[in-house]
Amino acid sequence: MNIITAKQLVHEFIRRDEEGNVDSITTALDHVDLDVKPGEFIAILGHNGSGKSTLAKHINTLLAPDEGTLWVDEMDATLPENAIPIRRSAGMVFQNPDNQIIASVVEEDVAFGPENLGVASADIRERVRTSLKSVGMSKYRNHSPNKLSGGQKQRVAIAGVVAMEPKCIVFDEPTAMLDPNGRREVIATAHKLNQKKGVTIILITHYMEEVVGADHVYVMDHGKIVMDGTPREIFSDIETCKHYRLDVPQSTLLADELRNAGLPLPKGVLTREELRDRLLDLFVDPVRRGQYYQQLNPVSFADRIPKHREYVTDKTKDIIVDHVSYEYSSGTAYRVKALDDVSLEIPRGQFVGIIGHTGSGKSTLISHLNGLLKATSGHIYVNGEDIYDEDYKIKDLRSKVGLVFQYPEHQLFETTNFKDVCFGPRNQGLDEKTVELRAFEALEQVGFPQELFDASPFDLSGGQKRRVAIAGVLAMHPEVLILDEPTAGLDPAGRDEILNLLARMHEEMKITIILVSHSMEDVAEYVDRIIVMNQGKAVYDGEPREVFKRYLELEQISLAAPQVTYLMHELQDSGMPVNPTATTVAEAAETIIAAFGA
Amino acid sequence: MLRDITIGQYYPAESPIHKLDPRVKLFATLIYIIALFVFKGALGFGIITVGLVAMIAVSSVPLSYILKGLKSIVVILIITSLFNVVFTTGDIIFVKYGPFVISDAGIRNGIVIIFRLIYLIMGTSLMTLTTTPNQLTDGLERSMRHLAKIKFPVHAIAMMMSIALRFIPILIDETDKIMKAQMARGADFETGGLIKRAKAMVPLLVPLFVSAFRRADDLAMAMEARCYNGGVGRTKMNPLRYGKKDAIAYMIIFAFLAAVIVARILLPWPM
Repeated sequence: MNIITAKQLVHEFIRRDEEGNVDSITTALDHVDLDVKPGEFIAILGHNGSGKSTLAKHINTLLAPDEGTLWVDEMDATLPENAIPIRRSAGMVFQNPDNQIIASVVEEDVAFGPENLGVASADIRERVRTSLKSVGMSKYRNHSPNKLSGGQKQRVAIAGVVAMEPKCIVFDEPTAMLDPNGRREVIATAHKLNQKKGVTIILITHYMEEVVGADHVYVMDHGKIVMDGTPREIFSDIETCKHYRLDVPQSTLLADELRNAGLPLPKGVLTREELRDRLLDLFVDPVRRGQYYQQLNPVSFADRIPKHREYVTDKTKDIIVDHVSYEYSSGTAYRVKALDDVSLEIPRGQFVGIIGHTGSGKSTLISHLNGLLKATSGHIYVNGEDIYDEDYKIKDLRSKVGLVFQYPEHQLFETTNFKDVCFGPRNQGLDEKTVELRAFEALEQVGFPQELFDASPFDLSGGQKRRVAIAGVLAMHPEVLILDEPTAGLDPAGRDEILNLLARMHEEMKITIILVSHSMEDVAEYVDRIIVMNQGKAVYDGEPREVFKRYLELEQISLAAPQVTYLMHELQDSGMPVNPTATTVAEAAETIIAAFGA
Repeated sequence: MLRDITIGQYYPAESPIHKLDPRVKLFATLIYIIALFVFKGALGFGIITVGLVAMIAVSSVPLSYILKGLKSIVVILIITSLFNVVFTTGDIIFVKYGPFVISDAGIRNGIVIIFRLIYLIMGTSLMTLTTTPNQLTDGLERSMRHLAKIKFPVHAIAMMMSIALRFIPILIDETDKIMKAQMARGADFETGGLIKRAKAMVPLLVPLFVSAFRRADDLAMAMEARCYNGGVGRTKMNPLRYGKKDAIAYMIIFAFLAAVIVARILLPWPM
């Protein structure tokens, strides 16, 4: 007997204008069939707007289907009287960790569900205890949720669902707003609940690497299920995955490159370990190795390998951070050293990545560069001038050094996109004609379609909003553009669009770009230099390949080097003469093929 | 700015007062306020002082912590007292100028009102200092549950209070972030006249409201998903239950009120 059976499910979002006439109809679910057996771990993949969240909300009866039938735990989900019993057997964890925690104390929040169900007080206490234990949050039971990290909050939210003792839990993009640590915590918790408690899991995500452990994967696009099968079956068809804007893991991509070049690797390699073992198998016999090399297709990777760019330092044009320290709540017992004697020099025109996990001081550092925070000690020089000099105009600095914050779309406030972009240049005191010219240019630079200039920013998709917000800073003509986690919360396709946009702007406009991120893999291909922050210090600083040489040390401060780096080191350790500093898929493919010919 | 207000913020400790049922503390506060306004005479004043001092001593909240909360209302205290002094006529008039008089009764009233207000703030903040916001909402909900019979939305109000308590710190954080982001775009929140400053708030308030509505929407959905269906049929993880200490506390409260009333009848002098 299935726990969830959906047949020909249809859901339409109807938008009406002010008179109540139908403005547009979006088909969010288009004749979807879904069968889930008890105890299964199901993953639903798809880019933003593919309909996967709409499907999730149906399972929890938060939305009702327009057509078709849906049975959850042998109850008809189309009948309103079944809503509460269905929500009891199919719980749901949402994307934003903050917006689903109701109480100000962890254990009271976990108790919220069972309290609603009318469970006896003693049983509630027992359920709260066991569910906090099952997500590994027991010692935080009396904490305020505001003091927890994103991953911990999400685990509290999971405990809150577990306490209702559901047969099935739907995770609606639970990792989209988390850093890599938080993502691992949440996915591991989902697997643990599935294996130890036999809870059916439906994981909705846009990251392919999170679905590797699933029993069955569905891919959605435009409200339809377009692919379904085991992870291996899905991962075998990389071209189709890319077509549906999914993020294929580096190991799978690399295996595919090598297979296209002629190495006899199977389709759908899932993990780094699997690829390593398969490669070593092919490599082990020197005679066969040579034969493989003879049969390879002539493929060149050279044009896809980023060229190293040289930058000349010039004290009159660079940003110089000179022994800067910053303390929060300075002078009290609660003081926290957010920056600890940081010294850097960033030449004009460089593309820099600042990497660190949450709380490493990376955001504090960039707030110093445009004067939003003032160092407790040390100096910062921009274009040769000390920004802490008494006669230095901090307002000028803000236009020289543009800062785009995390989730910048949250700062949009005007009635139209165009007006919003005008805000910055107008504050600079420019005349109206120049302001509009600047806004126009900036929106063009970020590739924003002209027909949407007069639309409201609140009607745009996440990626488009972010473009407008970046244009809002670009319009101030900064010499340096700093972006704090510009890809946070976007789906893989949106992320690549923004990163490519930045790379293009760096190339064409010759401005310095400083990119703050917690993801090594994202920035490795784009930046000239990586600065790794940990506990307020700049611990490593250099070209990506130099920094990734320290992959073991990076792991200790819970940052992961790209998958390829690990793979190259493992291959080298097993006796394959590859260049271990390869960081991108193209570089790795080149050096592996060279190793077969050696 | 908002973070600096410490008046009445919960002070964690393990005192007998902290452990009392919040309903007892709510009731005691009510009685205390009544006592403050019915007392007359030095004896009554003495009883209230003894009561307040004893409570503070038992609560193990440092006196300095309570007094710090008074700092923010010094101006209000002085103004209220001054009004009492200059607008009350009495038997003996010292100075008279236009509508203003300074009399013996005026001075007496001025002093009494200062003490009343200081005692009022100290006593009521003692309640919030020793009760977590959650206990307080719980206590209010239980104390007022009979009002639900006349269709007063007791549960809804209590739920709203606890959600507000949860989201205030988040929204303060968010205000800070948006403010910084707009400052990075050259916005100026600090200089200029009143109108200019009010205008400068638009880029701050619009995103803040949008975000608050988005959060409210998400939260409503999350609550529904966890079977929230209003207050009907709900149970509590830790339901409020009276213990022996609460009974003793009630007796002390009644004795206190009785003493103040008796003092007023017997010795209504000299205030």
